[in-house]
Amino acid sequence: MTDLNQLLQEFSDVAANPRIVLERYIAQGKKVVGCFPIYTPEELVHAGGMIPMGLWGGQIAPTVAGKYNPIFTCSIMRSCLEYGMTGKYKGLSCAMMPMLCDTFRGMSGGWRAGVKDVPLVAFIHPQNRTDSGALEFLTEEYKAVRALLEKYTNCTITDAALEKSIEIYNEHAAVMCEFVDVANDHLDVITPVVRHSVMKSAVFLEKSEHTEKVRSLMAELNKLPIHEWKGKKVILTGITAEPDEFLEIFAENRIAVVGDDLAQESRQYRTPIPDGPSPLERLAAQWFNRFCCSTVHENESNRGELLVEMAEKQGAQGIAVCLMRFCDVEEYDYPIISKATEKAGLHSLCLEIDQNTQNNEQSRTKIQSFAEMD
Amino acid sequence: MAENNVPAPKREIPKSRVMVNQQTAQIYANAWAAKEKGEPVGWSTAIFPQEIAETFGLPVLYPENNAAAISAKHLGDPFIQHAEGEMRYPINICSYARMNIGMADKMSGEKYERVEPAMPVPDFLLLANNSCTQLMKWYENLSRNLGIPIFFVDCLFNYYEEPPAPHKIKYVRSQIENCIKDMETFFGKKFDWDRFLEIQQRSQINRKLFNEIVKLNSRTPAPMNGFDLFNYMSPLVLCRGQESTTAIFEQLKLEVLELIATNTSTFTAKEQHRVHWEGIACWPNLGYNLKMLKSYGVNAVMNGYVTAWDVAYEPGDLDGMAKAYQMSSTNSFSTPSIMAKRAKSIKDYSCDGMLCHVNRSCKMMTFHIFVGHEIIEEQTGVPCANFDGDQSDTRVFSEAQFETRLQALVEIMQHNKEAQND
Amino acid sequence: MLTMGIDIGSTTCKCIIFKDGSEIVGRAIVPLGTGTSGPQQVFQTALSSGGFVREDMERILVTGYGRFSFDEADTQKSEITCHAQGIHYLFPSARTVIDIGGQDIKVLHISGRGMADNFVMNDKCAAGTGRFLDVMAGVLNVRTEDLGSISMEAENEVRISNTCTVFAESEVISKLSANVRLADLVAGIHTSVATRVASLVFRNGVVKDVAMSGGVALNQGIVRALSRELKTDILIHKDCQFAGAIGAALIANQELLRQARDNKK
Repeated sequence: MTDLNQLLQEFSDVAANPRIVLERYIAQGKKVVGCFPIYTPEELVHAGGMIPMGLWGGQIAPTVAGKYNPIFTCSIMRSCLEYGMTGKYKGLSCAMMPMLCDTFRGMSGGWRAGVKDVPLVAFIHPQNRTDSGALEFLTEEYKAVRALLEKYTNCTITDAALEKSIEIYNEHAAVMCEFVDVANDHLDVITPVVRHSVMKSAVFLEKSEHTEKVRSLMAELNKLPIHEWKGKKVILTGITAEPDEFLEIFAENRIAVVGDDLAQESRQYRTPIPDGPSPLERLAAQWFNRFCCSTVHENESNRGELLVEMAEKQGAQGIAVCLMRFCDVEEYDYPIISKATEKAGLHSLCLEIDQNTQNNEQSRTKIQSFAEMD
Repeated sequence: MAENNVPAPKREIPKSRVMVNQQTAQIYANAWAAKEKGEPVGWSTAIFPQEIAETFGLPVLYPENNAAAISAKHLGDPFIQHAEGEMRYPINICSYARMNIGMADKMSGEKYERVEPAMPVPDFLLLANNSCTQLMKWYENLSRNLGIPIFFVDCLFNYYEEPPAPHKIKYVRSQIENCIKDMETFFGKKFDWDRFLEIQQRSQINRKLFNEIVKLNSRTPAPMNGFDLFNYMSPLVLCRGQESTTAIFEQLKLEVLELIATNTSTFTAKEQHRVHWEGIACWPNLGYNLKMLKSYGVNAVMNGYVTAWDVAYEPGDLDGMAKAYQMSSTNSFSTPSIMAKRAKSIKDYSCDGMLCHVNRSCKMMTFHIFVGHEIIEEQTGVPCANFDGDQSDTRVFSEAQFETRLQALVEIMQHNKEAQND
Repeated sequence: MLTMGIDIGSTTCKCIIFKDGSEIVGRAIVPLGTGTSGPQQVFQTALSSGGFVREDMERILVTGYGRFSFDEADTQKSEITCHAQGIHYLFPSARTVIDIGGQDIKVLHISGRGMADNFVMNDKCAAGTGRFLDVMAGVLNVRTEDLGSISMEAENEVRISNTCTVFAESEVISKLSANVRLADLVAGIHTSVATRVASLVFRNGVVKDVAMSGGVALNQGIVRALSRELKTDILIHKDCQFAGAIGAALIANQELLRQARDNKK
């Protein structure tokens, strides 16, 4: 197997089998902390010598989560609760949960009722970011998070270690942004499924480990000639764009993914942690620089323009809103995205993402029609 | 149907209710008068610190309350359809938001036929997310669609059972103070801190009065049909800092005491069972709900919703006020916190069961119902029944389902009573 | 040059044979959907209707829900592309196409050349689709195809508020037991469907002329209710149910012509 293929296989294996990754870390004597989407100060976990692993649900049909979780709440949370209640997250020392939406508010109760063996470290971001007291609040809130992490794991999280971890995370983010650009020159290799596996594996691996893998991947890609993509191109936006069966529909129709504004993917990497007087304050300050995310309050939103700009830069003909089923915050943003897309003369797709179903037929029809259009 | 054609005498509307209607009409009239004079009018979320706008003397209306009123009259559908259709808002978002966003858009166009109670197009927005996060997204959309500013007090959320930590209180207090400063600049008015203190005092008087009235319903049999509480909430929601509210509640208290003295009730059926109602009312279906409940002799003597405006603090204590606004609304508390309160209510009000409205528009309250079920069973031993509905979308509630669930709950409560008597 | 278009839907299969992309010389419709013998039956019946055999067909293009599982096909295209072409053939002036199928509602905007340039589809739930009408017809103990004529007798249309098929069913039952007139009930059911469909149409706006395709378009009660909601006339062709198959056959023809041109070069 070539180095390239081997690397691609590794990314794919990690993305598909986080449970195995968790067990590997535990066997190495590491402590692992679960991190609910979308934004958690996982650098704190890293600084404690522990491994943060993202909790992004899975493609399953829940049977017990419904006890605590109304059916009209987002499917990621449903799957996560199902995994928690059925012991699939056993081994996690605790889980961090940000109160980014009403479902999270409710889930904090659902998790504590249903998953008693994984203690919950709940916390909340300030939404009134222009208030003079907001930064101080978040810094203090992160202090409280650190204290709880230390309590549940018996690890110590020092400022010095945190500074180092922040640098590792900033480096990783920069490498991921670079990868997205390099990928677009090799869309024959970096298919939508492959691209996603590189992105998704990032949420499960220790960050410097992942940085190394992505650097190796880019080195391999740079050995290849630039590939001229002849099919259509699309930008994806939303919380996640999964599973592989869904992404394959794009490939089947010769559509390449050339950029994204997905919470699980590029949204994680476009806001570096800034400098600041203390590492906690640096972490907190990052929140204040986040933009165009439905979970982050902004008076004006340029999300539509951002996506159009991305599409035009990459020569994409369409912007696909991957609308997570029952995700109300994303739903409120849908009108401005679709209208901005159409105003720019691009095609707007609305594709439903549901972790609790196996049926992709509607998406198949829509994506195929997009491919068939002028 | 009846051979005897003498119509039954119409039940007289109590004076307190007349006063409520007058008060509501007055605040709407004030808003329109201000609008006509070119003065700014605001829309506010239900539990934004009303003391601030009241002190400035700014007319403010409440879209949630407005949506409730309009959907109770079955006039909300066209606005919801407009939001879902042309405006492209997905059907899953809160129906108050769909109705109000759709209405705001229609209002701004020509050929808008006013639907009463009608609000003027706002010039500013007052946002507190203690009731939920969707309010934040709703108001963002209003702000962008109408091009008007938001004054925001982010009230955070109590994910554990402890009261808010000092750093949370500090942040909310900072926002209250900055809000006041920003509003001084925006409206070109000086904030009168003495008047503010008076309004805080008045708000506490009104809140305590309302609590006393609600407490009167803990008597068996209850002097009030619990659904009346939904109507009498509005002075607390719309005019919590005003003297007219004090007058209304004093009158209402007199009336309820009179009912107690004469051993009568506004619940006109025989009270066979007492339930705690959980969740917002199904405004479009209130009439049917009440009819059904009465036919089974069930008085929903208490509901959790009305306690949301119990914003308690010492006048003059800004930290206390900041803390109080983080602790109002069902949705700013963890489920164990809220269900402990409900369990106490169920005992204090001698409830035999709990009837839960699984409100399609309200995820947080629904989580409380699902996660809280065990807590209620454990702490009170009373049966709970759920039914599906929506606070203002008419397409969700099913009469057949409601009756089935209610009947089942009644049968269990009946069985429990009989077992006790054996 | 004979081309064939087959539309394999969830509840029916339709087949059209075109000669030189200009004349329909064979057709069939079978009330069986994908996963049954429907596709084979409609294929054979259409061939017989024109006195043809498989080898006469120069190109077979299939569309619809079952388009990936019909082996006889040379190629497949989405229903959106095919309905656009099909309606364009039937009504060249059409710019908005509404297709209410068995379990889907699609609204397309099409260009003057019959190409779809924008579309919107319903969320997964069945409310407002052909399935909804079938369930209602079942409850009322009438045939789905009679719903249209029944509703024409309505005097006091009754409102059906639930869009959930399951809850609407119980709502209709309780109104039946309250002796509401059948016609008034059916009219209410039609309005319920029309409101839901109109909401989808308004997302991308009404661009005249508006045409309908799919089996539900034959229900005059639905058409009347929808026309009222959209405040515009709606063009209905007697062959509207075949729009997908027509489009498929036409596209097959276009593909052959393109191939011939490319071969000449």
